[in-house]
Amino acid sequence: MNGLLSLNRKHIFLADDEVVDPKKYLEESCNPKCVKPLLEYQACVKRIQGDDSGHKHCTGQYFDYWQCIDKCVAPKLFTKLK
Amino acid sequence: MKDTCHQIPKQLVIRREKAQDCVVEKLGSISFTLAHRPKRVIQSSCVKQPLCHRGTTIFSRFSISSSIVSVADLVVPFPGETLSLRCGLIWCEALIKMVGGGVIQQILRRKLHSPSLATPVRSWFSSKTAHVDTGSSGVRAFALLGAGVTGLLSFSTVASADEAEHGLACPDYPWPHDGILSSYDHASIRRGHQVYQQVCASCHSMSLISYRDLVGVAYTEEEAKAMAAEIEVVDGPNDEGEMFTRPGKLSDRLPQPYANESAARFANGGAYPPDLSLITKARHNGQNYVFALLTGYRDPPAGISIREGLHYNPYFPGGAIAMPKMLNDEAVEYEDGVPATEAQMGKDVVSFLSWAAEPEMEERKLMGFKWIFLLSLALLQAAYYRRLKWSVLKSRKLVLDVVN
Repeated sequence: MNGLLSLNRKHIFLADDEVVDPKKYLEESCNPKCVKPLLEYQACVKRIQGDDSGHKHCTGQYFDYWQCIDKCVAPKLFTKLK
Repeated sequence: MKDTCHQIPKQLVIRREKAQDCVVEKLGSISFTLAHRPKRVIQSSCVKQPLCHRGTTIFSRFSISSSIVSVADLVVPFPGETLSLRCGLIWCEALIKMVGGGVIQQILRRKLHSPSLATPVRSWFSSKTAHVDTGSSGVRAFALLGAGVTGLLSFSTVASADEAEHGLACPDYPWPHDGILSSYDHASIRRGHQVYQQVCASCHSMSLISYRDLVGVAYTEEEAKAMAAEIEVVDGPNDEGEMFTRPGKLSDRLPQPYANESAARFANGGAYPPDLSLITKARHNGQNYVFALLTGYRDPPAGISIREGLHYNPYFPGGAIAMPKMLNDEAVEYEDGVPATEAQMGKDVVSFLSWAAEPEMEERKLMGFKWIFLLSLALLQAAYYRRLKWSVLKSRKLVLDVVN
């Protein structure tokens, strides 16, 4: 779960120095819209925490969450790009 | 006499008079069987007698469909299948309405010249009224339904396991060159070529693009010549029979990072970095897929572990891709000063790859728009001309010899 929202991009926009990647920014701003799949994913992670068989995974919920985010980001992204 | 009855197309000429025909033929056929009187109008003798015995004008309109049903009867193994024939009839009616019947008439004409027609028509007729074998047809239908349901259920359970296998579906981005009359963003193509050259060319070849292709699209001739001159190209045997190297020219292809596929695989842990000349056409929903892939490197979901040497990318089928994340913020410094964020580089490189795969796009759209417009005008003209010529036939009246 902790990998989902990795923040290895710069928050602060310093003049002429560091840039904010618009896609990451939009993905985070779309997070509130996709709370439901996110909670599903987190619930799944909790469910499989104790599992050692290696067969259980949360790909389905992961895909649902990112599909929601993508759908939200896609129409807006190119307006922020040159 | 029987053979003339099955020359169906002739009766279609007087389709408009069908309603009256039917009523008249009802009387006419009776007189025919009694008195063997030759018909005055040959076409009317070809009206299907079973049709008129129905007594409804509906069937007169669907004469084509009934003949198709009789054809279907030829292929259906046993004539007792009332249910499937009825479904076939309804389906055929819809199909005819859509297709318009011209081609089907041709097929019918050929099929119905077979001498075995008489029995199927009679058997269909008898099966409609008899309803003898409803039991077997009912069981058969139920078995088919059961098979269909099982198939559907098994499909749904299999599909959920295929999620990672197919990769996450990529969203549709609003590319600036998407519209019906939209051209490429050539500034974006230029930046994208720069990204390719500095980031991607170390592993991916683009062996179908020459330097001359870039002239007028992304660079001026001088710029392209200068770019080409930076590379060394092996050229054919000289007068002494030896191969030699020379600086590149406009006519040379973009340089390849590896000599052959085996070398490429060896250098990349067994994985072959594909040639990018046609990649946006070689992948389903190519432009969106490549952009999503390049900008979609994320941590894997819980429970998924990727082996050493591979990286997780949800858009890649299977999830484990050999290519690491290559687009990082400010990996490239653009000539025109545009901030080189990951998304910006992704957009530019995909614009470049789209151009590389479809350089003719702009000309194609212009041509398409022009010719679709002209052909629609031609269609209107042709429609008017057809109706003008056919008005003679369509507005004629036929007088039948009515038996009193």
